[in-house]
Amino acid sequence: MKWFSSRTNKVALIAPTLAVYLAYIVAPIFIAAYYSLTRFSGIGQPQFIGLDNYHRLLDDPLFAIALKNTVIVLVVTLALLIPGAFGLALLMRRSVRGMSAVRAINFSPAIIAPILVGLIWVFILDPQIGLVNNVLRAVGLEALALQWIGGPDLTPFSLAIVQSWQSLGYIATIFIAGLTLIPDELYEAAALDGASGSQKLFHITIPLLNETFKMSTILVITLVFKIFETVLQLTNGGPNHLSELLVTYMYNTTFTAGEYGYGMSIAVTTLAITFLAAAVILGLPALRRRLARTES
Amino acid sequence: MPAQTRDRRRHPVQTLITAGITVLVVIPFVWMVLLVFKDNASILNDPLALPTSLNLDNLSRALDTLDLGLLYKNTFVIAALALTVQLFITFLSSFALTRLVYRRKWLANAIYVFFIAGQAIPPFILLFPVYRITIELGIQNTYLSLVLPYVAMSVGFNTLLFVGFLRGFPTEIEEAAVLDGANLWTMAFRVVLPIVMPIVVTVFIFNMLYIWNEFPFAVTLISDPEMMTIPLAISQFKGQFTIDYGGIVAASLLFIIPQLAFYAVFQRFIIGGMTAGAVKG
Repeated sequence: MKWFSSRTNKVALIAPTLAVYLAYIVAPIFIAAYYSLTRFSGIGQPQFIGLDNYHRLLDDPLFAIALKNTVIVLVVTLALLIPGAFGLALLMRRSVRGMSAVRAINFSPAIIAPILVGLIWVFILDPQIGLVNNVLRAVGLEALALQWIGGPDLTPFSLAIVQSWQSLGYIATIFIAGLTLIPDELYEAAALDGASGSQKLFHITIPLLNETFKMSTILVITLVFKIFETVLQLTNGGPNHLSELLVTYMYNTTFTAGEYGYGMSIAVTTLAITFLAAAVILGLPALRRRLARTES
Repeated sequence: MPAQTRDRRRHPVQTLITAGITVLVVIPFVWMVLLVFKDNASILNDPLALPTSLNLDNLSRALDTLDLGLLYKNTFVIAALALTVQLFITFLSSFALTRLVYRRKWLANAIYVFFIAGQAIPPFILLFPVYRITIELGIQNTYLSLVLPYVAMSVGFNTLLFVGFLRGFPTEIEEAAVLDGANLWTMAFRVVLPIVMPIVVTVFIFNMLYIWNEFPFAVTLISDPEMMTIPLAISQFKGQFTIDYGGIVAASLLFIIPQLAFYAVFQRFIIGGMTAGAVKG
């Protein structure tokens, strides 16, 4: 529509969105990067100290714990969620009566506020009053009634289970969307050739869902790097910071301990790790292809 | 023959597994509902015992403790303001990106990519900088302090949906409107807006849910109890009710049930929005 395409019109229509976006998304990233190079306690002026915060990060045992925990949550969540959601999608794709209700129910945890999800799971995982341990004790598996939260080791695994609960139906829905794009003719042709169910699964469904697998993996990575409220509710990072994740450690360092500069160096590093993880997933097939070529 | 026909056969094993998974997913909700009718002694000493009566003490204690009116008012006023502003500005910018003619086409596309890249930015990197901006602007503990970041966080998703839809929609109606002498604003609001109405609804519901659930910005920017939003109040239950577990469960249910009701009504838009954002983004 040439008639309206004056520069004034373009600016008037795009400027408000651009202004909010620049002020509240783009500028803050640079502000965070700037503070990460300073020492700042909230009083006076931030003091420029170069890369000192990043050096400190390398020797910080609490950062190492937070990083280790985040990796555990990520790996366990991926291991549970990707095959689990794919399997559930295969089960829920059939259009039989009641299936849309089943899909809706399985999706529902994804819409609950994370701060509520954390609280709900306190009543499931709490070693004393929680559902899991009480059921285990009731059936005589006292030995398995472990300290799911609040102990020194298991919280990251519990966090992965909570995240998997919240996102199972959501990721499954994304897989169903991918499944519906596979043309039926492929299955019919395979059936004529006498392919078995598992042959169809491994030679048609999974290869053709390659993109969906990649996308859900990236989605799960971003979900895991957003886990915050659940930690707050389940353990608040305790005992003694042992169950801290990168995001909660960053938050507590920044706002509870008031070490704004150091907190921002954790924030920047966390963002870099997130992007790196996503880049690795996106680049993995290309890398594998290159490796295969050099081997041959 | 369509594939669906093959699936008409009964698959008892598959049905059983599906039912089993669904039960597992529902158990946490059911558990909360069972606990809410039990007193604290029973929750502590005999957690697995089923409630013996429809005891509403926990709920009435929770209702006495919480200022539900204030919490819903704060959350929904912030949502109303943020949604009005974001729908207005992101619709207009998406309209401009798809319908105006650019001599440098790459520039319009670059702005589009720039906007949707915002979806990849996790909120945590933004918290402290936004806190500083809020102090600089002198708007701590105001609705505006949360409205602005919520509007900004919506730019990526809204642009993705609006632009995606408009690009795929023919421009004949609009060309006819131009010949009828429509000006820019009539064009945007009378001609194009009705066309994108289904997207407006999805964007509205999706962002409503985001604001309803949003905690990181709220906890960073709001300290005045009078300004507290729903997620902030929930984060304080453990301190507020201390060992009154029945009270915590009841208070949680007072917020879980409205969310599930909202989901039940707008399910189609919520699922559509969440998967579209993930799939296209």
